[in-house]
Amino acid sequence: MSDCQGLGDCDDTRMQRIYEYLDGALTREDLTEIKNHLDDCPECAQQYDLECVIRNMVKRSCTESAPDNLKNAILDRIHAIRPVEA
Amino acid sequence: MGKVLDGTRPAGPVAVEALAAEPVEYGMPRAGRLTVDLKAMSTLDPAVAAMYEASPGAANGSAGAPPASAAPAEVVAPAAGPDTEDAALDVDAETVEDRRLRFERDAMQYVDQLYSAAMRMARNPSDAEDLVQEAYTKAFSAFHQYKPGTNLKAWLYRILTNTYINLYRKRQREPLQSNSDTIEDWQLARAESHTSSGLRSAEAEALDHLPDSDVKRALQDIPEEFRLAVYFADVEGYAYKEISDIMNTPIGTVMSRLHRGRRMLRDMLAEYAAERGFKTAADASDAAGSKSQENRK
Repeated sequence: MSDCQGLGDCDDTRMQRIYEYLDGALTREDLTEIKNHLDDCPECAQQYDLECVIRNMVKRSCTESAPDNLKNAILDRIHAIRPVEA
Repeated sequence: MGKVLDGTRPAGPVAVEALAAEPVEYGMPRAGRLTVDLKAMSTLDPAVAAMYEASPGAANGSAGAPPASAAPAEVVAPAAGPDTEDAALDVDAETVEDRRLRFERDAMQYVDQLYSAAMRMARNPSDAEDLVQEAYTKAFSAFHQYKPGTNLKAWLYRILTNTYINLYRKRQREPLQSNSDTIEDWQLARAESHTSSGLRSAEAEALDHLPDSDVKRALQDIPEEFRLAVYFADVEGYAYKEISDIMNTPIGTVMSRLHRGRRMLRDMLAEYAAERGFKTAADASDAAGSKSQENRK
């Protein structure tokens, strides 16, 4: 990876900061700080871009439609367990 | 620097007590969010659970429950706006039929999402369908414990996750953490060797052209606790706190699973891209004899 230490002094720390940024899990100050760094550092920005690409790939690939019969099968089961009130 | 938000502070293992604690009696008034006791549920036949619901008089005996007569008998109103109505909804006074209609109206819209998540767990469509059916049945049986106005989809995901762990994992007789250490070690080592050469936007470009089937395959190849964390974060965009509730793990564990899972995923995708002949950063640096390559020697 790069020699950049703007987001931390080791690979893990740097990536952790990028993940937290990606996940929106930072305070406003930290967000600004990282955003500023990404604006200035092409190497870290590329890491971030790559993570964004992968995130979108996962999102795109894992959005499946349930088989048509599944919803009806669930409804059937729910109706079947509905008790007859005494 | 260093402070991590989880969405709803204070952080920590919140709302997990419902899973760890002693079985909650059916019909107890709900306490806090996500109070389904799935351990209890897993040992309780859904039909039996539903029968408890069928006798609201017995179920409402606990202190704090408003008298059943306080609520109108016919609150069904599928057309009513859920947000405004649900906050004031008296779940304990609801009839079974009303509850069923509310469940169909509010919960059934997430079948596709739950199925997608189940596909990350069960690995084949047929098992995924079974899993979703089972989870929905449990969710319906426990729907009186769901607190209207809270995140219903996350609640369903939690039941799905626990159903998976209880049903399928037990069947496989593997503890949840089983292979993690060994798999992590070699995969992380591999990830290091890749990332140390420096990934470029050419790599992002190459990965982005991979077919969906490759992405799914790569996801299936990483240990499931990492896979599910990545799924909930990347597909659903859940905050760490929400994932920690769904997976019943501390936030720190969620973060480390995400970190490791993403690195493994990136590494595998880079490999697939290379197999498919897409030009990646590693190729570029090999060809150029870059500094980063020198560093690896």
